[in-house]
Amino acid sequence: MTKPKISSDWMAGCAGCHMSLLDMDERIATIAELAELRSTPITDLKHPDATGVDVGILEGGINNSSNEEVARLMRSRCKILVALGDCAVFGGVPAMRNFFTIEESLRRAYVETESTDESGKIPSDPELAVPTKVRALSEVVPVEVFVPGCPPDADTIFYVLSELAQGRIPDLKGDKLSWY
Amino acid sequence: MVTVTIDGKALEIPEGTTVLRAAQSAGIDIPTLCDHPHLTPYGGCRLCLVEVEGYRTLQPSCTLPVSNNMVIKTSTKKVLDARKFVLTLIFSERNHFCPYCQVSGGDCELQNAAYHEGMTHWPLQPNWQPYPVDASHPYIILENNRCILCRRCVRACDELIGNFTLGFEERGARSILVADTGVPLGESSCISCGACVQVCPTGALIDRWSSYLGHEVKFDSTKTICVGCSVGCGIEVFTRDNNLVRIDGDWDKPINAGVLCEIGRFKPMAEKCDRVFTPMIRKNGSLKAATWQEALTAAAAGLKESKSKVAALISTRQPVEALAQFKQLFSEKLTAELVTSLEEGMSTNSLAASADELGKPFESKLDELKKSDAVLVLDDDLVNDHQVAGFFVKRNLPKGSNLVVVDANSNELSKLANKVLTPSSGSYDDVVVGLYAAAVKLGLIKAKKSVTADDLAKAAAKTGLQTDDFLDAAFLLASSSNPVIVYSDKTNSSVLREFAASINAKLVSLKGEANSLAASQLHLDKPFRSTDLKAVFIALGDGGITQKLVKEIEKIPFKVVQASYTSALTAGADVLLPSTNWLEQSGHYISADGYVQEAIQSIKPAEDVLSISETLHKLADILGIRLDDNWSKLVHDRVSPVQINK
Repeated sequence: MTKPKISSDWMAGCAGCHMSLLDMDERIATIAELAELRSTPITDLKHPDATGVDVGILEGGINNSSNEEVARLMRSRCKILVALGDCAVFGGVPAMRNFFTIEESLRRAYVETESTDESGKIPSDPELAVPTKVRALSEVVPVEVFVPGCPPDADTIFYVLSELAQGRIPDLKGDKLSWY
Repeated sequence: MVTVTIDGKALEIPEGTTVLRAAQSAGIDIPTLCDHPHLTPYGGCRLCLVEVEGYRTLQPSCTLPVSNNMVIKTSTKKVLDARKFVLTLIFSERNHFCPYCQVSGGDCELQNAAYHEGMTHWPLQPNWQPYPVDASHPYIILENNRCILCRRCVRACDELIGNFTLGFEERGARSILVADTGVPLGESSCISCGACVQVCPTGALIDRWSSYLGHEVKFDSTKTICVGCSVGCGIEVFTRDNNLVRIDGDWDKPINAGVLCEIGRFKPMAEKCDRVFTPMIRKNGSLKAATWQEALTAAAAGLKESKSKVAALISTRQPVEALAQFKQLFSEKLTAELVTSLEEGMSTNSLAASADELGKPFESKLDELKKSDAVLVLDDDLVNDHQVAGFFVKRNLPKGSNLVVVDANSNELSKLANKVLTPSSGSYDDVVVGLYAAAVKLGLIKAKKSVTADDLAKAAAKTGLQTDDFLDAAFLLASSSNPVIVYSDKTNSSVLREFAASINAKLVSLKGEANSLAASQLHLDKPFRSTDLKAVFIALGDGGITQKLVKEIEKIPFKVVQASYTSALTAGADVLLPSTNWLEQSGHYISADGYVQEAIQSIKPAEDVLSISETLHKLADILGIRLDDNWSKLVHDRVSPVQINK
């Protein structure tokens, strides 16, 4: 039997969920035995195989046109899509900016910051991604597995990955279900 | 009794019970948010929906009364789907992002409900409408973005406190929680009792002091009592790493049933006083640090040298154990000339005298206030003092209970009263005679030898009040079925007791500090008098002392002071001993209405800080005296104004 392939990527998040993934320590070897780890943002291979993977994992919400591309690419190349962490599941901390207009948020970040002098301006290079309202992953593409947590526990991530690697859909409840 | 079937279980349930309470009594769990066991059902959140046979739609179990042969199902697929849908709608309405909320992680009932239903995400995203945040209050933050419109806070403010500060503005999704007519909470009629914070199921009302100090699961908790006044409210003290984090009202304590006042809930948190940390002895005019042995030896030597020319005063905030040992050591063993409390019996003297005279208790429990339909308050401002007793009066007013306030000075309770009598001259006894005579004149009670209808005009002349005032007030009181008279040591008199008996009114009095009644029972109630005193021992603890006493004490040559906090008194001490504060010591207290309750230590004191009780034992050891622990017998030896429960 061939091992299931797993790919991951991150979007509007803090990378904390991937850090929590690494926090499972030596158990990552167990996952590597059960599954084939393909592209991740913390390894050399950056894009999921064009031939497809079994499980795609995305961390972070979607807050610009670039994130949207990442989400659509992963969705198109994986069978089971996992929203990892509160930002991917709900929008998370970045979604706080949805209570303001994008213009207000950009001005606050690039012009009004206490450490910015009068030369501060909002970047407008046409090559830059276009900021949007922050959305949960499921608002952009269909998601099969939701793993909330800020970040989800290493134990929870290990459970989710080992279930997926063995062809089962994880059922999060009890101490594995945490929204913060 | 009616028969109902819940999830296949046949149950006998008293008529009028709601389906929710019936299910709970049978151990069947129905999740709720707006429901609270101490508040009237509201039916606002719809989380408790159940299926009832014969009903077209799902029914909210919290407002549906049981009826005979009702068949209820609480966990069908239809019900479970509805619950998830209800939660989805609540989550989508406002900002319910858990990672940046104070109550997330065990303290949020909304989050717990979602976990309970196994929700991993929201099927609907929020609409990103911002709502106002009100941080104008010194203790409370009102975060409308976290509000689920359950109105527990509004009901608590109305039904438990009787303050009617909170309410809702606008309708539907636009509804926002406001104070009064939409003024900032900090400038509103809010009295900072914090009941709203304690009942809030989410992070919409949080208190500044405890927020972001961690989740409740990380705290240690101690159920004890408040010693802020003589009501004796039950509290739950939350600490983390031996630091005070939060105080909640204890729902299970019958006296206060969960409610607290500002003094009980928030004041201890805001307290900023410098502690006395180590024993000190005055050497060459200034206080120098010493060991306990040195300090107590110096104190013992000074006390012995003064023979009987010693005064010993103790705070009535101390547990009865300390009061009894204090009395034993100073009065019986050292034969000190004056052994009394720092309160000098000012809130109990005349009550104790009446009890001695009558030979039996004559007052009732504070609980009577909760059942009353008319209250006469004599010279007692229950809005500012003994506030929780005030809540019992205020909360009954909308139910039609009548309130008569008699006070020569301004009294905040007057604003709420049906009738206010403000005598400009004469005594409170004259007012009581006037009320008595007015009730006789109205034909509501019979005249007595001492008081007849003719006394009405005389009382009016003496007090500067109109006869109509007396007639109005007397009618409100004498025509009710459960009148209660709240009086105090100052307004105690035989004519008041006669009046109370004639209209079948219960008498209730509040008694100063947490252990004033216990001090009175131990005869620690004599007034201070300075007659050539050579030494004084002041067991102040964390209590207060009048300026008058401080001045008197200054004149005494040798002063031993045991105190928790530094003050002018500690600065003038010859021997200064550090004392635990109320949270750091255990012991028993007797409430104003005679309940003996135990205060439990919730914080460990610093190494060199001892309780007054421990200090007395050490001092007795140095003096070669043995102290017994017989307070329980001693407090029952004297007839008390109110029955003292064991």
